[in-house]
Amino acid sequence: MGQKPMPFLYVCIQKPGEAQFKTLFDMLEMLQQYIAGYVALTGEEFAVLADKLVVREFERRQLLVQVGEVEEYLSFVVRGLARMYFFKGKTEMITNIAKEGELIGSSSSFLSGKPSCYYVETLEPCTLLSITRANLEKAYRESPKIEKLGRLVTTYFVLQKEEWELECMRLDTRERFLRFVGNNPELLLRVPQKYLASYLNMKPETFSRLKNHVKKRPVAGRP
Amino acid sequence: MVQTAATYQAALEKLHQHLHSYVPLTKTEFRQMEPFIEIREFDKRVKVIHEGEVERYLNVIAWGLARKYLPVRNKEITIQLASEGHMIHSELSFHYRIPSRSVVETIEPTVFFSISYDSLEQLYEQIPGMERLGRLMITDLFIKSDNRYFNQLRNSTRERFLEYVRNHPDMVQRVPQKYLASFLNIKPETFSRLKHLMRPRKERG
Repeated sequence: MGQKPMPFLYVCIQKPGEAQFKTLFDMLEMLQQYIAGYVALTGEEFAVLADKLVVREFERRQLLVQVGEVEEYLSFVVRGLARMYFFKGKTEMITNIAKEGELIGSSSSFLSGKPSCYYVETLEPCTLLSITRANLEKAYRESPKIEKLGRLVTTYFVLQKEEWELECMRLDTRERFLRFVGNNPELLLRVPQKYLASYLNMKPETFSRLKNHVKKRPVAGRP
Repeated sequence: MVQTAATYQAALEKLHQHLHSYVPLTKTEFRQMEPFIEIREFDKRVKVIHEGEVERYLNVIAWGLARKYLPVRNKEITIQLASEGHMIHSELSFHYRIPSRSVVETIEPTVFFSISYDSLEQLYEQIPGMERLGRLMITDLFIKSDNRYFNQLRNSTRERFLEYVRNHPDMVQRVPQKYLASFLNIKPETFSRLKHLMRPRKERG
């Protein structure tokens, strides 16, 4: 925090090509902002992590992980959109949608080293900053602050899941729709409607009915 | 419920073993942790945290049985059942310091090893190696909760029932049926009907 200019510059400067350098710089800055939400890392501490990252590019509709494979990467989305899902019979059940500035990966498989129960697939072309399990373990051993970051991010995973589960029980369909749209207005434009319906665990018809309803009559209380 | 010092010592020893399964922890290191840990005793059917309170503690059950539930429209939805060695507290409230939506209630007389929010922060700051222990315990919790969520979404009522009964025969004995049914998201009537699956085939009829 407050340590500009970016102290990890020397990490990037070894990468060839001026144009690439700029992009990578921006990517790392995004990641550093994300991390600052959890813990304040010094330049050296951030470099421990930055050193172990790889940049991965994907087209749209590419599978990052299949069911039965072990997830090798935890990824930070620099650009694009991805979803996590499984099949219940013939129906796709979406359990996560991640956009820029968020983490994606079959997290339970990544953490346990066991085969994934989920598919992870890109919805838009994606650029990811990824780290392998082995490299993350190495970073934990090299820096206690990064271990703390790991603890806090994992805690956040648990809390996010808990919050989602409680909301599903506490709120009715309409309330969940309104809450989701209120928190993620841009996803309504970027994600196919049937996927959003699946993510919210409601029928596509219900989703589109609620959407039209909201369009016609703006939510009460809004100016 | 009268307990002797030896019983507590034995329970602490068990806690040490439990933590040791995550990271190597010498007796001296565990001794360092002891001052941060509070022992809290409750009778059966006592609310350990009420709706609207801010959760002060992270609890691990020394002995006993407790459940966490969410009050929704005059109903109680059981979201966790915990026995010896398991962690149970109102997580969102504890970590975000916000009023709890869920309630933790004992089912049997229960003793908790509890650590307050502030003590936990101190523990992380003062004792090296605690970060790793915390990270591994929370990772374990995430994997378990993800697994439960996945099963809940994907498996049929019958599959959920059978899987739970197979993996937790002890809990089926100890937990009142209505809580089990709620936890598995199965109607109490359906739960009763499914119980015949627990008996070996030849003994039926």
